Amino acid sequence: MAGVVTRREFLNLLGATGGTAAAPKAGTALGLLPGGAAAASLDLLGLGSNQRKVAILGGGLSGLTVAYELAKYGYDCTVLEASHRCGGRIFTVRHGDLIDEIGNRQYCEFDDEPHMYFNAGAARIPSTHRNLLGYCKELGVELEVFINENKTSYVQDKDMLGGKPIRNIDYTTHMKGFMAELMAKALSHEELNAPFSESEAETLLGMVRSFGDLSEDDLYKGSFRSGYASGGFLKHGVQKDMIAFRDLLKTRLGRQLLSANEGDTGPMLMQPTGGMDRIIHGFLNHVGDRVKYRAMVASVQVSDSGVEIAYDQDGVRHTLQADYCFNCIPTHLMVGIDHNFPSDYVKAMKYVRRGEAYKAAFQAKRRFWEEDDIYGGISWMANPSRQVWYPSHGIHKEKGVVLGAYDYGGGMYHTMMTQEQRIEAHLSDGENLHPDYRNLVEKPITIAWHRMNHMLGCSARWSRNFRQGWTHEEEELYHRLQQPVNGRHYIIGDQMSMHSAWQESAIMSAQWAMADLDQRVRAELA
Amino acid sequence: MKQILGNLFTIGFLLSISLTSAAAENEREPFDDRYCTTCHGADGRGNEGVQAPRLAGMEDWYLVRQLENFRAGIRGTHPKDIEGIAMQPMAAKLTDESIADIVQWVGSWTYIPAEITVEGDAARGQQLYAACAACHGQQAEGNEALGAPALAGQNDWYLVTQLKNFMADYRGHHPDDSFGQQMRTMSRTLGDESGVRNVVSYINTLAER
Repeated sequence: MAGVVTRREFLNLLGATGGTAAAPKAGTALGLLPGGAAAASLDLLGLGSNQRKVAILGGGLSGLTVAYELAKYGYDCTVLEASHRCGGRIFTVRHGDLIDEIGNRQYCEFDDEPHMYFNAGAARIPSTHRNLLGYCKELGVELEVFINENKTSYVQDKDMLGGKPIRNIDYTTHMKGFMAELMAKALSHEELNAPFSESEAETLLGMVRSFGDLSEDDLYKGSFRSGYASGGFLKHGVQKDMIAFRDLLKTRLGRQLLSANEGDTGPMLMQPTGGMDRIIHGFLNHVGDRVKYRAMVASVQVSDSGVEIAYDQDGVRHTLQADYCFNCIPTHLMVGIDHNFPSDYVKAMKYVRRGEAYKAAFQAKRRFWEEDDIYGGISWMANPSRQVWYPSHGIHKEKGVVLGAYDYGGGMYHTMMTQEQRIEAHLSDGENLHPDYRNLVEKPITIAWHRMNHMLGCSARWSRNFRQGWTHEEEELYHRLQQPVNGRHYIIGDQMSMHSAWQESAIMSAQWAMADLDQRVRAELA
Repeated sequence: MKQILGNLFTIGFLLSISLTSAAAENEREPFDDRYCTTCHGADGRGNEGVQAPRLAGMEDWYLVRQLENFRAGIRGTHPKDIEGIAMQPMAAKLTDESIADIVQWVGSWTYIPAEITVEGDAARGQQLYAACAACHGQQAEGNEALGAPALAGQNDWYLVTQLKNFMADYRGHHPDDSFGQQMRTMSRTLGDESGVRNVVSYINTLAER
């Protein structure tokens, strides 16, 4: 009997390869889904006349969330922001804005128009990030659709088809066709078919055929899905030539192309109309008078009765006494600030690595991508600049701002270059997609998060081993850092989450800390 | 008289230029070159989190020399000098005036003993340190006449990185960096990384606590 796979074994195999991780979520899908994007509902105790002072270190999204919420419940909040602006890595760059990279200061020279902006940090809001969406609704931040995947955008690799860019739709249609052909062949084998009833096998095969647009003999012979070589409206469409499977396999971009539309970056994605920092301004409309700018923290001393903060502003050292402190200063900067934190807490702070993500953008003299049937979305390149993003907004206007590079994983390759070298790298990379790119774009800006003043890093990295995930030790360090010092000092921000780099994580870290504080305050006042 | 009038004209002309540019820049976010504490920590205490060394307590003449070396690309240009590469573009933007301003600013910071983070055999390190003492002083207090900075009180992890960089030719490789070249040769006497840790552990015993 060896070699025969039973039905149970086969289903177990499916479970082991993909089913188990999805299992707990399946429960949510079956009727446990909470209601829509209701505004974040923190049920904190109102303080009444029991005045409490709160120091918030850093005017990033998590800090402003705390300021906004605690102010509602009667806390007296002060936000100390080291730079000239709030928002941290929620940074929309427009005409005249300072990009304060250490060693490479830039002023943005884009045309002064509402649609001519660049979201240099956070740029996408998934529809499942309901706490963030809740605040957008509550704060009146207008949202519009963000186009992430665009089938007419390009895929380009020097190793594929002589470096000629092809459309995303060509790559994905053919790849799915070839994959479906392989699956259909496998399904026609007795052994593999065995675990399924006739009706199940028929359903599955029907799905596979449709997935890959297979012909009646279960072969992939090309598809109209990738568009027509000619005709299609007043005359019958003529099918395009197929691209050989082997040719598609010359690039490794397929890994990203087939998953770009899944998970956090799956549809529906949104962006605030006019720039991501509309969210920050939404908060500042309520708590803007609580923020001290260019106020750089020098010391944080926690005692049993409160927290004493020293900070420098206008060349003068000030002191701020508070009952509680919410701190979204990046841990790698907090290490260099005087403090009296316990050693295990400091060990955790020192463990976190700073992210290296890098972005660049150009002003386009005209919206040349629209001439190529591209409206929004991302072109993928197998070179260090990696991506070109076309704006989802400002369609059919004269100009637009394109993202010219996004290295979301590494980033040091470009960070270590001079500004001139960076720009030249993006121009020559982009020419692979748009031959006249160099002449079509101007007024470049680059954002090397690793060197941005008062941040010196992109999103925090807890796990040292991307593939294996978090170690037990990392989990312990994380939970240690999440716990407040003396019930007085909380570290917040997306750095204090297991899903850094998302605004939702920053907000949820702040909400977690406020809920913890609330319990303590309730106990004190009881 | 003509000369004076000419000078007055020049001054008037320069003033009008600077005012125009000031007016244009007024709409833009102002900045200065006082970036030091973002990386080097509050009051220049050093920051292990971004591997930026202690500046508080550093000698004026040494600070000036290193800033000038960075600015000229004599230091911080070797591709393996990770921390130096981060510093170099910052220094490249500095003028003589801003260097003077920074040195004055650094001088205003109070020295606070650095945390001990390096473990090593201080007794063995003491033997190795004999070769260092000739320039850096018996108490690692530094010697301006010889161009050797104080080592006592510096962040120990930074001393380890720099000694390793000297040994690997990542620092002191530039032909115009005569002090660095000297240090590159001397670092060889430490043998290997354990020698580095031992000597740094000994230097830790010399710092004010």
